[in-house]
Amino acid sequence: MNAKTMAGIRGSLILAAALLIAIVLSLMIGQIRLSAADLWTGLLTGKGPGALTLRVLRGPGVVTAIGAGAALGASGAIFQILLRNPLAAPDVMGFTSGAGLAIVCGVLAGTSLPMPLLSAAGGLAAACLVAILAIKRDGSQVPITLILVGLGIGFLTAAANSFVVTRLPPEQAAEAQRWLTGSLAARDWGHAGQVFGCGTVLAVILVIQVRALSLLELGDDLATGLGLKSNRARLQLAGTGVLLAATGVAVAGPVPFIALMAGPLGMRITGAKQPGGRILSAAVAGAIITVLADLAARSIVPGLQLPAGVMTGIFGAPYLLWLLSREMDAGDI
Amino acid sequence: MRAMAVAVLALVLAAVLTLTVGVREGGFSLVWQALSAFDPNDPAHIAIQSVRMPRLIAGLIAGAALGMAGTIMQAITRNPLADPGILGINAGAAFAVVIGSLIAGRADNGLMAALAFPGAAAAAVAVFALGGGLKGDAGPVRLTLAGVALSAMLLSFVSAIILARNEALEVFRFWVTGSLAQAGMRPLGYMAIAAVFGACLAIAIAPRIEALSLGSALARGLGTKPGRIQLGALVAVTALTGAAVGVAGPVAFLGLLVPRLARRAGGHVLRRELIASAILGAAILLFADTIGRIVIPPTEIRVGTMTALIGAPMFIWMARRLRAGASA
Repeated sequence: MNAKTMAGIRGSLILAAALLIAIVLSLMIGQIRLSAADLWTGLLTGKGPGALTLRVLRGPGVVTAIGAGAALGASGAIFQILLRNPLAAPDVMGFTSGAGLAIVCGVLAGTSLPMPLLSAAGGLAAACLVAILAIKRDGSQVPITLILVGLGIGFLTAAANSFVVTRLPPEQAAEAQRWLTGSLAARDWGHAGQVFGCGTVLAVILVIQVRALSLLELGDDLATGLGLKSNRARLQLAGTGVLLAATGVAVAGPVPFIALMAGPLGMRITGAKQPGGRILSAAVAGAIITVLADLAARSIVPGLQLPAGVMTGIFGAPYLLWLLSREMDAGDI
Repeated sequence: MRAMAVAVLALVLAAVLTLTVGVREGGFSLVWQALSAFDPNDPAHIAIQSVRMPRLIAGLIAGAALGMAGTIMQAITRNPLADPGILGINAGAAFAVVIGSLIAGRADNGLMAALAFPGAAAAAVAVFALGGGLKGDAGPVRLTLAGVALSAMLLSFVSAIILARNEALEVFRFWVTGSLAQAGMRPLGYMAIAAVFGACLAIAIAPRIEALSLGSALARGLGTKPGRIQLGALVAVTALTGAAVGVAGPVAFLGLLVPRLARRAGGHVLRRELIASAILGAAILLFADTIGRIVIPPTEIRVGTMTALIGAPMFIWMARRLRAGASA
């Protein structure tokens, strides 16, 4: 075993440990503080405050956060690899806010369609719009134009969202506003099952597609030479990426910046270079960020549940700034 | 000149509509009566004087100020995507006021006036430093992304504070999207003075900004000092943006829309462009506000949402037109 693999294993262990710590902390801290021992007895015996916390109070929320964060993180990594630009995340390019808009519109119209379906439709529509609008006159597509046009679509959906929110009755409007910021308050096992169900299906599809992503990494000519239909593969991968993001949005709202942060963070810790490893580490990193953001959002102001999206906004935006200055120094954008 | 005349006409029309649309009975003649022969016992007159007039004045201040601020920013950065909203300067002013009133425990007009301007100035400096403006020419892409990130962070703080204090949704809307709905409560007098100061300064230094846009070496040769001009532009943008946020909240995209139109009316002379952007900015903001009030009664769409609905497609269109070479 060489030093590189050792470092990779150590990184993966660090990432896994961080996720475990984030989960335990998130279960312990809240309006009522629990000790790790309480949780442990609750888990083993199914009785006492620990069991209640796990089963009803915090368990479902934490599990939902893990699922949503992993889906968003994986989605971010797919686009970052596909477009070879760390800024190319579904939340920067407006896909997640498109998914959010579709859900809010669905709620306003009183539809009975399931949330993930609405969210997927919204996300795909936003992604298609961005892709079409970013094509230049000569038919070429520059990643940076894609990102800027995506930002524009994000602005537009944000405006459309606040338009829709004004049409809701006051109590519902406040609730919708929180949801649109990205919130994990009051999630139940239904949400957790939904995000893990959809997420598993998409993960299986992704496992099949990941070979194509590795080939695309080699460059179009080589990939085509090795028998890959590159444009089709790219579309399929983008489709999976959008659906993963939409899965996260359906349960947690369009939480900003998780997809952007997760990929580079995971890659830095594990040192993964292959697309498969990068996506996996991004999923774990996304889960960590989401669990911690939710924890911070509900414990920073005692007795008050802030939307988790406020926290990722406060910490994610500086990260975007830092990324930008680094990229700029490297001359990438 | 013809374009300028059209702009003035548009502004007059927008002002008349702001005062008359939605007034239940009497329409224009009632508004005229309320203004010319005010009857303190007539509730309709009182409503016009205390609700409509402040709204009109706030719209005039914020629209003109944001239009001019956008034009100066685009001239000095040579970035067609520069706008006080997109670059986070609005958010800086809003953040300073909200956090200041949280710490001070009060939210009066004096406090707002004292905090909005330093907030706007700090955000402007920060966005240029982060966007690479200090090292050389700030490229449009990097500056825009830096602004988006700064704005996202500051507005997240603002939402956190407002949600933590359990304020009404109306307060949230004012400080996050911008609104003219409660203009009567805003410090219109203070902000009007600041806006006029910013406007005069902008018009005074306009020729030197033009010289600067020829390149700093050439500008120096012509006897202008780039550092001083940039400082002057910063003070003007700060005064204008702070005033606009003080009366209308962080309304975005107006500074993106207006300069393009003003360039046509002003014939590529910055001084005239600035005057045109004041007129057009006020006209567009008042139109947007009036439309927002009448599309889905009885609720009204906040003016910040309206400008974003118009401005975001414009942003996309301009982003598409950025040449690959200009993106660095």
